[in-house]
Amino acid sequence: MKNFKKNIALLAALACAGTMLAGCTSSTTDGGDTTDAPAANGDTTAAADNGGAADAPAADANAYEAAQTAGTGALTLPEGEGKVFNIYCWNGDFKKYVESYYKAPEGVEFKWHEIANEGGAYQTALDEALMNQDSAAADEKVDLFLAEADYIIKYANTDLTQDVTKLGVQQWDTGYDYTYKAATSVDGVLKGVSWQANPSMFIYRRSIAKDVLGTDDPAQVQEALSTWEKVDEVAQKAKDKGYVMFASPLETYRTFANNSDVSYLNGDKFATTAAFDSWVAQAEKYVENGWSEKYGLWDNEKQAMMGTDGKMMCCIGPAWYFNFCMGTAQEQTNGDWGICVGPQEHFWGGTWLLAATGSDNEAVIADLMNAFTANEEIMDKILSDAKEFPNNTNVVNKYANDDSYGLEFLGGQNHIKMMAECAKNIKWDPALHTQYDQTFNETLPNNILEYLKGVCDKDTAMSNFYIALSEVAPQITHD
Amino acid sequence: MNKRKPIKSISYAKWGYIFILPFFLVYAVFSFYPMVTTFYYSFFENYNQGLTTIGPNFVGLQNYVNLFKPNEGRFELLEYTKNTMIMWVLGVVPQFIFSLLLAVIFTSVRLKIKGQRFFKTVIYMPNLIMAAAYSMLFYVMFSEVGPVGMLCKALISPDFVVFQSVGASRGVIAFINFLMWFGNTTIMLMAGIMGIDQSLFEAASIDGANGRQVFFKITLPLLSPIFVYVAMTSLIGGLQMFDVPQIIGGTDGAPNRSTRTLIMWLNNVVTGKARDYGKGGAISVLIFIITGILSFIVYKSMVKEDPNAKKNKRRNKNVLL
Amino acid sequence: MSYYNAQSQRTQQNLARVLSYIFLAFVTFISLFPIVLLIINSTRSGSQLQTGFSLLPGTSFGQNLKAAVGSAAIDLPHGLFNSFFIAGCVCLLTTYFSAMTAYGIHVYDFRLKKAAFNFILIIMMIPTQISAVGFIKLVYGLKLTNNFLPLIIPSVAAPAVFFYMKQYLESSLPMDVIEAARVDGSNEFATFNGIAIPMMKPAIAVQLIFSFVASWNNFFTPALILTDAQKQTLPIMISKLKTMQLSGNSDLGQIYMVILISIIPVVIVYFFISKNIVEGVALGAVKG
Repeated sequence: MKNFKKNIALLAALACAGTMLAGCTSSTTDGGDTTDAPAANGDTTAAADNGGAADAPAADANAYEAAQTAGTGALTLPEGEGKVFNIYCWNGDFKKYVESYYKAPEGVEFKWHEIANEGGAYQTALDEALMNQDSAAADEKVDLFLAEADYIIKYANTDLTQDVTKLGVQQWDTGYDYTYKAATSVDGVLKGVSWQANPSMFIYRRSIAKDVLGTDDPAQVQEALSTWEKVDEVAQKAKDKGYVMFASPLETYRTFANNSDVSYLNGDKFATTAAFDSWVAQAEKYVENGWSEKYGLWDNEKQAMMGTDGKMMCCIGPAWYFNFCMGTAQEQTNGDWGICVGPQEHFWGGTWLLAATGSDNEAVIADLMNAFTANEEIMDKILSDAKEFPNNTNVVNKYANDDSYGLEFLGGQNHIKMMAECAKNIKWDPALHTQYDQTFNETLPNNILEYLKGVCDKDTAMSNFYIALSEVAPQITHD
Repeated sequence: MNKRKPIKSISYAKWGYIFILPFFLVYAVFSFYPMVTTFYYSFFENYNQGLTTIGPNFVGLQNYVNLFKPNEGRFELLEYTKNTMIMWVLGVVPQFIFSLLLAVIFTSVRLKIKGQRFFKTVIYMPNLIMAAAYSMLFYVMFSEVGPVGMLCKALISPDFVVFQSVGASRGVIAFINFLMWFGNTTIMLMAGIMGIDQSLFEAASIDGANGRQVFFKITLPLLSPIFVYVAMTSLIGGLQMFDVPQIIGGTDGAPNRSTRTLIMWLNNVVTGKARDYGKGGAISVLIFIITGILSFIVYKSMVKEDPNAKKNKRRNKNVLL
Repeated sequence: MSYYNAQSQRTQQNLARVLSYIFLAFVTFISLFPIVLLIINSTRSGSQLQTGFSLLPGTSFGQNLKAAVGSAAIDLPHGLFNSFFIAGCVCLLTTYFSAMTAYGIHVYDFRLKKAAFNFILIIMMIPTQISAVGFIKLVYGLKLTNNFLPLIIPSVAAPAVFFYMKQYLESSLPMDVIEAARVDGSNEFATFNGIAIPMMKPAIAVQLIFSFVASWNNFFTPALILTDAQKQTLPIMISKLKTMQLSGNSDLGQIYMVILISIIPVVIVYFFISKNIVEGVALGAVKG
């Protein structure tokens, strides 16, 4: 009963917040900064302090000027620096950027350790390497590694990553605040940077929107999707016309989870959150009403629904999603898509560069990190060539204010402008993130999906999740 | 011979040790030592909380006790053993039927099958392909957009999704295993049939026995030692089932953990985020024991069925242990 | 009467033969279908593969090939080389040392002979994966990560190959031959290398290809040890592409192409010595 009340309260709150979200200026996420939220690692005060501290030091203009030259090959290696630069990553994206945009200092050889993230193999290999860092030969030591939003805190909070401000990296004014907070440890030390920001958007099929709503104009579609109630109405309309709103009930999971004001974890105790319960309630409703198919987020069946004859009206994701993960759409329905904010702002994913302690290539770490945040030439290519949303407002503004710029895939819509507004509002409250977020955000909803598909009942789905959780973190208990 | 024997054993015994030394040395370092450490760790609490290693702290039999305690009201050890055995049986029964049929067809003097070499080559081919790659192909075929998946929808029910059905998912995994191994089994059984003294068949045919009688009265009984061997190796292989269900059902063995095998469990505990060496060690010991028990049961049951058990006992022993 | 009988027997036999061929055709079909499918898939583009299924080849073979060879995510030439190198070493070591161990136990009488044989038979039944914990710790302890040695050396001790070799020796290596060699003054190693090995050729051929294929397809252990992108083997690369594809960063066409490339060497070798295999499996398998 208590849970039920909480749900209602949250739904009401969400609805209110939603209506305020006419444009993109709402501050739903501000509500997340409640100080009574349990800190992931126990120390609430430290976390809160840090939240403030991250805005404090204004970056030195001259330093930014200097950082502009990073990645141009101008750096001469200091005496005693190693020649082999070891990078751990799980796929070839960053490698591609480094090889195409970055000019390495003379005499440094990049060695890429790519471990496919199958069954968490990446973190396993990385952890083993980091924990054996002391005894590894200089040229075998990890220098830099990549981490995702869902587990960055695991690395940022240990001594195995180092303070990058000591190496000459700063929080530039051109960077989005949240990307720095995410890479900051509980005691306020900056451990890394990211080259991207990831506001997640409603991606809708223009032709279907025209059929269902009579318009495909982003502003008008946004108006029609500005609250969850309205989204429900549109979903019913879409169903009447033979479409489905989503291909997967998991589609909206991140929107809810990302706007939660409590963490799943309190100390070593797990509890589902009100946001999670609301998502489950919504997912049940969508599946029951036939507003959503029951596929997984990454299923081929979902891809098929993006094709010429596809019936999926919307999906949700950031720039990396619509540019890299909608292959079928890119090929068959290119230009028939548009984006709008939807009922609630949120972000999804992101990749950070973290500096490993014990690296013998500190100058290269700094050069690389500055190149992929402050070097505007490189960041421009990240936007124009790699089609990512760069973590540099100078570059972003240049495109946002350029009316002639537009993405062919989105029917010529200038997505940068809309996403820039959202990126500014993204908040990162360290108290809400734990090192087990990946398990919470992927394993948990995937188990619920089995229930939604009718494979098992809800209790079994939850017990399946708890078993999975006990394998990831044996110390975690639950009620 | 008899006269020379003592001399031989005196002068050559050391060569026996020298010849088997590399095997035992390497086994000791790379298999036995790791196995002993694995078992050793089963008595310790030793896992990672993020990047912090807990332990190793000696906990006695606690890891074993935990495995025999229900987790979330469920008995994982039993659940995964059951999954593994069901999928093994589902695959091994058609595998034996097909292999036996094929072996009889290939060795039959009466049928004189042409193109034997081609057929034998072809049925062995699936065994050459990476199990994981092979499974991927089947996953696509049986998925909702795949041909078999669509066929099932059309034939059974519009709501039928292969990989949402426990039985069908296990069936697909068993089918892949069957396909990968029936060629191997066929050749083994052929070897067995060809090893049977030809004069027995001749005598039978002179006595006017028909094909069916020859098969059930001569071929099958005399084949039983090989059958035991094949069944045992297949069982041991089946208990190690990993690649195929891992691709079809994912790490957790979807749907509803019904395709999770013992080794998938062990793999996830040991190489997963927690790196739980304590629990992993205990699981290893239990898998070791389960393998032993099941091998014994299969061995016993198959030998009992054999009317010539006594005669073959020594031979079986030699083959098996 | 006897004419009638013979006639009916002949029709029966013909029927049996027809049924046998139908059965063989069916078996051939289910064996070859996945491989044909793989070849077809390697000619179709990623999005075609994701959205539907077809038995008609596509036109993206060249494109997939280019994507596979020129992929930034995987280093296919290195992968091929690494797989070849490891599998090559493994199959040589496995067959040679298994033959040697089998020879040692078969030919010589020594006190621990029986014990050694039984020991190997027992360990044959132990799943290799159960020592994974200790193996990881050992490899990290010896600092042998990203090194091929922990993948190659352990193949010296292969209980199942040993068992096969032992069975084969029992049926085909008469002691007289060895005695004769000794009389000629051949030392024990020379006898083994010069007389026993040539006599075991069929068994060795079989085990060479079996152990090559097993190592070539092995994913479990290499994935634990090889992190350096340049040192990884093909199965790791395939799994890497697959995870990338799951997050939309790679296409299925490229994956099928890499799988195809990775099975071609095995299939070619197999066709050349398939005669040996089919006969060889029979020869050594279960002469007990």
